[in-house]
Amino acid sequence: MIKNLIDGDTFAFEHVVAEYHNLMLSVARAIVGDSIADEVVQEAWIAAIKALPKFEGRSSLKTWLVQIVSNGAKSRVRRENRYSSLDDGWQAVPSDKFDHTGHRIDNVAQWETATPEALLSNTQLQKVIEQAFLSLPAMQRATMTMVDMEGYKVDEVCNILDISSSNARVLLHRARVTVHDAIERYQDN
Amino acid sequence: MLQCKDVTDETSNFIEGDLPLSKRIALFLHLVLCRCCRNYVQQFRQTINTVAVTQPQEMDTTDRQALARKLHAMCDKTNHGDS
Repeated sequence: MIKNLIDGDTFAFEHVVAEYHNLMLSVARAIVGDSIADEVVQEAWIAAIKALPKFEGRSSLKTWLVQIVSNGAKSRVRRENRYSSLDDGWQAVPSDKFDHTGHRIDNVAQWETATPEALLSNTQLQKVIEQAFLSLPAMQRATMTMVDMEGYKVDEVCNILDISSSNARVLLHRARVTVHDAIERYQDN
Repeated sequence: MLQCKDVTDETSNFIEGDLPLSKRIALFLHLVLCRCCRNYVQQFRQTINTVAVTQPQEMDTTDRQALARKLHAMCDKTNHGDS
């Protein structure tokens, strides 16, 4: 793929942008916030293309691109003294599922329609999941994108987003709980 | 003895294998006794799998074809020592 890019293969550029732009945007939004994330990602793409001939292949192209956007976003944060909270805009939904001793008072049943096979034919459920995902704060979205969709380890996420391991685990769990609860409400209706 | 609420709070760590052994055993014992929590952990695994399958995306208005063309043009310039 790298050789194709250097050789100027049009399809290679389209493929790389289609494949990695979303992940890069997710990382940038988590670090610098929504307002300038697009700009940071554009700058990262340009920096990557310029540095492409020097790319030594010691990591995958994806890892390299994510590192570029992460470094760019972090230096932007330092330069502009920006601060984005770990869970901007997130509020825990008060739980009515437990009694005062911490025992469940609801009846948790098995799901029938949330298997990957069923999902492929259930556009409504896909929409529910997309909406729940988009309702998450940027840090949670990025953590979920990297771990649950891109297969990153939590420790790698910590380095990319510059957060502690325990914070990354909390963000991941909260994101999953939100998506789980959205699917659960869909199943109950 | 763990309560159902503790199981809910630790489900991700349990699934990822990130719990210390004593807590893992306590949670496992709770799951043996509590059908609701067993179903919850199962639902949670399904949630993770469904996210992996549906791959929800960031809200984004970028024209990716145009971006690819722009990068391609830039690369051409760099290759021809024109930049």
